Parts: sequence; structure tokens; C-alpha cells
Amino acid sequence: MQTAVSSTAAQPSSGATPSALAAESTTGSASAIEVQHLAHRYGSRVIYDDLNFTVPAERVVALLGKNGVGKTTLIRLLMGYLKPSGGQCRVLGEPSHALSPATRARIGLLFEGHLAYDFMSIAEIERFYRPFFRRWRRELFYDLVDRLELPRDHKIAHMSCGQRSQVVLGLIFAQDPDLMILDDYSMGLDAGYRRLFLDYLKRYLDQGGKTVFVTSHVVQDMEALVDEVIFLKRGGAVLQLPLAAFREGFRCFAFEQDGSAPPQPDAVIENVDLHGREPLLYTFATREQLTEHLREHWPQVQLGDERAMTLEDAFIGLTGKY
Amino acid sequence: MLRAILLKEWLKLRWALLGLALLHVGMLAYLFLSLRHQFQVEHSEMIWYWAFELRRLPYDQLMFLPALTGAVIAVAQFTPEMIGGRFRLSLHLPVRGDVLVWTWVVFGAGLGLVLSVLDAAGLYGIMRLFFPREAAVSAVLTALPWLLGGWVAYFGTTLALLEPAAPRRLVYLALGLAFLGLLYLHRGYQEYDRILPALAAASLLFIPAVILPAHRYRHRS
Repeated sequence: MQTAVSSTAAQPSSGATPSALAAESTTGSASAIEVQHLAHRYGSRVIYDDLNFTVPAERVVALLGKNGVGKTTLIRLLMGYLKPSGGQCRVLGEPSHALSPATRARIGLLFEGHLAYDFMSIAEIERFYRPFFRRWRRELFYDLVDRLELPRDHKIAHMSCGQRSQVVLGLIFAQDPDLMILDDYSMGLDAGYRRLFLDYLKRYLDQGGKTVFVTSHVVQDMEALVDEVIFLKRGGAVLQLPLAAFREGFRCFAFEQDGSAPPQPDAVIENVDLHGREPLLYTFATREQLTEHLREHWPQVQLGDERAMTLEDAFIGLTGKY
Repeated sequence: MLRAILLKEWLKLRWALLGLALLHVGMLAYLFLSLRHQFQVEHSEMIWYWAFELRRLPYDQLMFLPALTGAVIAVAQFTPEMIGGRFRLSLHLPVRGDVLVWTWVVFGAGLGLVLSVLDAAGLYGIMRLFFPREAAVSAVLTALPWLLGGWVAYFGTTLALLEPAAPRRLVYLALGLAFLGLLYLHRGYQEYDRILPALAAASLLFIPAVILPAHRYRHRS
């Protein structure tokens, strides 16, 4: 059986493994983003060694991972703000470090922390961005921003974090990009505005021909939004698969054991959680496969019932709590 | 698109520019009042002796004003870009990065130039009120290295602010200060007349150089 999480995503395989589920990912379609053999390090700290994945065009793909696994670094590499130690990234067919102005116009980019020119007012920032984008949709910007009920000469610097994010997201929608790269869009947003944003995002996707690559810490928002998920782990291990395949194939079981050492993650067991009220075991295997595996390798473990999981539970189950 | 780029620069610089314009007008007014006061309390022969025999510059209040102006314009223009890494926002705009940065510095240096012209014209006019034309022309020629200092201070500060690597930032600051030091070595009139064209030509190297830190910012490893 293959390793549960590899640094190369979407490799076909057989059996109930993440790779087999990943094979259900759209292969062969045009890619909006291609990452091949990407390596990056900060000093001696390796972030990725051989990272490979693609974001198919016209799909919504979420990049999920715990803090510090390199999500923001990856966005910076994709937009050419960092030079990788090795490998390459292509965005809309161009090398990420040499994106032409015409291609940049097709990419709506949300920087972590909703970065904006906060010395500008609402009207000034719209006036500033408008001439750069041929398909600029002013009405979309003001539709979102007027909900703040702020005067248009209100400075962005005087806004709350959530208000500022609303302005920044309005600018990205107004740009009407073919590819949206959203780095932690949910930061600072309340639940209501997150829902509103998702409604707008779905409307944007309904136009067709749009691709979204998103990172977020609010995993439950991804459930109704994304087609595929990419799980990034420390050291650059990556697992990419359709969300439906992940929800269907990733399982959580309670278990009991005698006093000996608990089971450890291996080729079949993705994770073991001993922190909760009852010990839990996470796997992509079926009950039968897991039972067989436990009998062979962890005979002291008695498998209990399968537990229902939210997407957030499953995410934590896969990546671990700590 | 160009208008949008200039709009942002104007929004960043307008209050700094207003403050600098008031400062320059204030300094010229102070120079006028100072000269008038000297001519009221001293014999004109004595002032002539001080100015042209002892080679004391009666307008040295203006000496560091252009350098201060250049540094203030650069800080007002580029600090907002660098706080929180907002420079990335600009570099994502669908416009060539080098064109963008050059447009910024043309705008910033252009405003500095306007204030320098104001200084030179003001200095000439004020000197002309009290001295013969030759003395007024000499005053402007003597002040030219100071005005070039404004250019050097602007670009030196710009390079240091745009540069992402701290050691290089220090190198840019040191180079800028050394160049400025070269422009403030004189003690009398028109001592830079022969070397100034060469110094001005050397200072033009700042224009292409400003692309380097922007490029490094974009493609940091």
C-alpha cells in the first residue's frame, strides 16, 4: 500500500488509499495552476522539497493545512513574490516569476490580512483600480461596499478589519478575474459577511470559466464551495483529491485497547487522536481493511463504531490537532 | 492607467507637499527678512565685506533644505508602499514593474524639482532686491550643489526604502550620505562650478539603479 500522503498529488493507484481517491481528481483538463517539483526553504528550514499539484481550470480548489505549513509561502511563490529554490510554478500558462501584465489582469489576488492602500478612501481606491482592468465591474464593488453604510470618502485606514476586508473583496470581484487566488479570505470576517462573500463567490462562479484557489482557516465554509481540496503538511507532503471523495473515503473510528502502546500512524492509519474523551483513529481504509490491518499489526486494539464527521473534524483528523 | 498611478502618488504626497511648500516659502521669507534686517542694522559696506571679502554666505539657511525635502518626499512616497508589504499590491497591477517604479520616481523627483525651482527663483529674486545681478546669479550657482543634494537625498532614501535586504539598505544609505557629503564640502562661492556637471551626471545613475531593489523585492528567494 502506498504512503497515505505523498508529496506528489493525484497519482492513480488502486485500493482504498488517498492516492486512489485522488485519482478521481480531474486529470487531463487544462490547468490554471501547475506546480512541479517545487522546492523552497528559509535558511536551513525546508518548507517544500518536491511539491507537485495542479489546480484544474474552472474548479474551486482549497489549500488546507495547519499554521506554518507554508500556505502563504506557496501563494507568494505562485505570484512570483518569492523565488523558489527549485522546480517551477505556472499560472495561467506563464511562469509565476514572469507573469505578463495581461495575465496579472486576469488574476484576482487577495493578500493575507486583506492588504490594501489604507491611505485611500472608498471612492479613491475604486477610482485607482478601475483603469487597470478592462472588465472592471464598478457596480459589483459598490454593491458590496455600500452595505457598510459608510460615506464614500471614508478612509480605509479608519475601518475595522472586517470593513476593510469587504472593500478588498469588492475590488477583487469588480476586477472580474478568470482566476482568484484568495489567501485566508475569512480573516476578520464575521459569520454573516462570510456567508455574503460565499454567495458572491458562487455568483461569480456561475458565470462559468472561473477558477478559484483559496486558503482558509474556516474549514466548514469549504464544504459548500470547493470541488477539490489539497492538504498540505509540514515538509511539503501534499494530498489532493475531490472534496466528495475525501468526505466519502475518510473515516473516523472509535477504538479501545488494553494498557499497551496505542496504535501509531502508518500506511493505513492516517492519524490517532488520544486527546479527546474517547480515542479515535482516522483512515482512508474501509472497516474491513482496517480490521484486517489492526489484527495484523495492532492486535491489542479493538475497533469501535464509525463516527460521523464534519469537514472540520475530518480536516483535524487528517492533519492532527497539534 | 498613468493617471491612476499618478493619482495614488498624489494621494500619498499631497500633505507632505503642502507642508514642504509652506516650509520652503517660510524659509525664503525668513531669508528675505534676515537680509532686510541686516541691511537695516548694518552699513551696506559692512555686509559687502562679510559676504564677498570674508566669503560668508548670507543665504546658508537654505543649505540643507533641498536634501531634507528629497528625503521627506521619498519617505512620504515609499513608506506607505513598504508598510505591511503593500508594494506587492502595486507589483500585481497589470503594468510593467519598471515602468511603474520609474513613474513613481519621476513624480516624486518632479515635485522635488518644482520646489528646487521655487528655491532658486526665490533666492535669485531676494538676492536681487539687495545685491547686484551678478551676486544673485552667483548665489544660485553656489546653491546648485545643495539642489543636487535634494535629488541625491530623494533617490538615496528611495533606494533604502525599496530595498528588501537590510544590509543592502545600509549600503544604499551609506552611498547616499557619502554622495551628499561630497556636495557640502564648499565654504565659499561657486566652488563646484567645474565639478558639478560630473556630479550631476553621476547622480543620473540613480534613475536606472532604482529598478534593482524593486526587482529584488519582486523576486526574493
